[in-house]
Amino acid sequence: MTKCHCRNPLKPYPATIVKIIDETPDVKTFQMVFDDPEVMENFRQKPGQVAQLSVFGVGEATISITSSPTRKGILEFSVKKVGMLTSALHRLEPGNKVGIRGPYGNHFPYEVMKGKDLLFIGGGIGLAPLRALIDFVLAEENRRDYGKVDIIYGARSMDDLCFKYDILDRWPQMPGTTVYTTIDRTEPGWEGHVGFVPAYLEEINPSPENKYAITCGPPIMIKFVLQALEKMGFSDDQVITTLELKMKCGIGKCGRCNIGSKYVCLDGPVFYLSQLKQLPPEF
Amino acid sequence: MIGYAPGSEVSRVVPAFISREDEVDRLVWNPLCINNLAKYLLDYRHEPGKVAVVVKGCDSRAIIRLLQDNQISREKVIILGIPCPGLINPDLVAARLDPGAQITVAAVSEQDFSLQTGEGTFTFARDEALLKKCRDCEQHTPVIADFMLGEEIPPNDPGDPFVAVKTLEELPVEERSAYWDKQFSRCLRCYACRNVCPACTCRECVFDQAEPCWVAKANNLSENTAFHLIRAFHVAGRCVDCGECDRVCPVNIPLSLLNRKILKDIKDLFNVPTPGTSLEELPPLGAFTNSDPDEFM
Amino acid sequence: MEAYTISRDNLRTWLDTLARDYTLIAPVREEETVSLFKPVRGFAEINLGYTNSTVSPKGWLFPQTEEMFFFSTSDGQITLADAQTPGPAVLFGLRPCDIKGILALDPVFNGAYQDCYYQKRRQDTILVGLSCTRVERHCFCTSMGGGPTDGEGADLLLTEMDDGYGIEVLTPRGEELVNRYQQYFDADRENRVIPAREELGKKLARQFTRNVDTTGVKEFLDQHFELPYWGELARRCLGCGICTYICPTCHCFDIFDQSPDGESGVRSRCWDSCMFSHFTRMAGGHNPRPTQKERVRNRFLHKLKYHRDRYNLDGCVGCGRCVTRCPVNIDIRQIIADLQEVARHD
Repeated sequence: MTKCHCRNPLKPYPATIVKIIDETPDVKTFQMVFDDPEVMENFRQKPGQVAQLSVFGVGEATISITSSPTRKGILEFSVKKVGMLTSALHRLEPGNKVGIRGPYGNHFPYEVMKGKDLLFIGGGIGLAPLRALIDFVLAEENRRDYGKVDIIYGARSMDDLCFKYDILDRWPQMPGTTVYTTIDRTEPGWEGHVGFVPAYLEEINPSPENKYAITCGPPIMIKFVLQALEKMGFSDDQVITTLELKMKCGIGKCGRCNIGSKYVCLDGPVFYLSQLKQLPPEF
Repeated sequence: MIGYAPGSEVSRVVPAFISREDEVDRLVWNPLCINNLAKYLLDYRHEPGKVAVVVKGCDSRAIIRLLQDNQISREKVIILGIPCPGLINPDLVAARLDPGAQITVAAVSEQDFSLQTGEGTFTFARDEALLKKCRDCEQHTPVIADFMLGEEIPPNDPGDPFVAVKTLEELPVEERSAYWDKQFSRCLRCYACRNVCPACTCRECVFDQAEPCWVAKANNLSENTAFHLIRAFHVAGRCVDCGECDRVCPVNIPLSLLNRKILKDIKDLFNVPTPGTSLEELPPLGAFTNSDPDEFM
Repeated sequence: MEAYTISRDNLRTWLDTLARDYTLIAPVREEETVSLFKPVRGFAEINLGYTNSTVSPKGWLFPQTEEMFFFSTSDGQITLADAQTPGPAVLFGLRPCDIKGILALDPVFNGAYQDCYYQKRRQDTILVGLSCTRVERHCFCTSMGGGPTDGEGADLLLTEMDDGYGIEVLTPRGEELVNRYQQYFDADRENRVIPAREELGKKLARQFTRNVDTTGVKEFLDQHFELPYWGELARRCLGCGICTYICPTCHCFDIFDQSPDGESGVRSRCWDSCMFSHFTRMAGGHNPRPTQKERVRNRFLHKLKYHRDRYNLDGCVGCGRCVTRCPVNIDIRQIIADLQEVARHD
């Protein structure tokens, strides 16, 4: 009789938290390393993919991988404290053990994007999945494959801006890269732009020519960003977003992350706007 | 308005929700109108306007239950009471009638149910065909109604409703335990008993809460027993004995037996009628009086 | 392939022997109207006269609660240990609709990511089918491409005959099983078994009380997601999990940890239901299927469209369980007919 020799996809690999960065009052970035170097070496994620993080005894949650695959030997996950698992993660400290399985889902179409300008539009924790692609295209070995990179990012307040070291320091210094940062309301100490992301986008008014727009953020922001992009002349095939739904298995079996016949964990999380428009509005 | 309409086959009647005059013709009343419609009132709590609901004697206790728990306001509800002489076991109807037939006339006498369809009249001996939950019926006539549709039926003496409970109580504790273990071990945790129950109105049920996790999702005898006992105690003094939990259970767990045990204990302890019988009589575990013993508070 | 016959006496002995050599899972009469597939110790516990078990036998391959692995976090290290699997088993007396249900589950647990738990049990389990002898009033397998004597997917198919049972060998694994216990079987020298089964099939085909015409329903649903019909239907839905838990093709599950001491414990999965509100509710509170309307629609689209889109298989095998047990008469046969009607007026 034939035996099942597959590697059990529902069993996580042990990993260790090596560093925790406090991003905002409720977002932390966890740097993790698999305990088995061979697993680390073979974990080949692509920008936009997700993984299942385990806190043993509490459970699992699907979290997007925020570090670029060009960064070897480490994985980063930025996690907002919203539920049971994410709260448990927030209680952990460097040196603590977790489990990771993945990578799951499709990825940003970085091959198709070659030779194009890229416009990233993020809100709040929504920058986390975009960051994997931003760092991928800005990596030295890939930079010449892509054109101009514009990043529009906003949060409710200064405190709520994630990846301040990237948006304020690192990315603006990269060649061919412009970062536009905004917060919702004025605040002492903030000299940058004030206003919502969609309005800022309209103000900047980027040309759709030879460009892909990649957006992620709270649903209400995405809704108005999509409207703004359409007004500027972006076609549905030039706009890409990444979705978040409740997932358990991550491998298309447990049945809860379907939108119509598509499973977000297998067929997503990355969708062209043109694809999203074909799907029922259940996300 | 919430009433009854013919279902997908002759033996089934479904809850029907109508809002236009021309839909009234869909409504039916016959001995297959089993569902307790009172719980659906909760779906209309926050909708504008009034909602009318058809209730039988047993179901009417559920209305009082919801009113006493302030789940719905009296002004919002128009109660259409139907005195109910007893319902028929749909399986027996299904066994004899063509599934596609329509019941045109239904009559219930002391001896028989008689159902008329295009193919003739079918009679069923009442003793054999009476639905399980109707065998101990306390109130044929609704205890509360704005409009009473039909002649009131005086209460008859169903005999001791606690015969089955007493038989079980008399068993040695090991046998009682084994009896319930056998029942609970096949529970699917589908929560139909909870979802159909007019006493279950919590905004978030403890069994749906992830944290704290009172009862694990794991389906095993221990967790299943915890589920049923917590539920039984939670509806203690509030269960109106409508029998719906028992009827809907897909694996025939005798839930009314469990609930009746508690009903019996509460009757013995507090000398009160079945919950929901009177709007003025507050549930013994939900009201405070100065004469309450202060043994634990 | 070969066919054999087995006398009633030999069937009894064979099943007693099977129960000794394998984990034998067979229909057991649990209560007056409840039969369930359970491990049995021998023939005496088995009820072969059942028509349709209350809960589908999928639970042997995909248990309602299944331990996946144990974890222990002592000394700052994580140790994971696989849970035990049950080993060689015979799933005996499967009705044709339930075999078809297993065929509908197979591709879900297969694919790019192999579900090891299901695969292991599936590989370790021999499926022995049993032709129906009666058609229950809610059966409609013939409308969903099956039939009451259709053994496709089984390793062996038994059919009751006047003087015992006929056995058809459908796979090499079935052949192996028959060979192992050949002392109980007689070769079907007069070629009676297949004609008897075919005759039975024809007789039963005439007993279906309701034929369901699915023509055009999938195509209509491809084009129409938003229909007022779903809202109407959902009004009476109680939001319980009966239909999904007794269904032979529903496969949704949840994954959860139990750790009494906070250091070691077990990760399990258990059946979950798209009828429950928290099934899709996210940690932050957002729910893409916020009301019963979306949930009811999802279930029936899953049965009538999504499963076909993904696996080119019907998501419903016509076993009729949900029709029998739904407390508010949500009847998939009626839904199919209603959708035809909605499509006609479209």
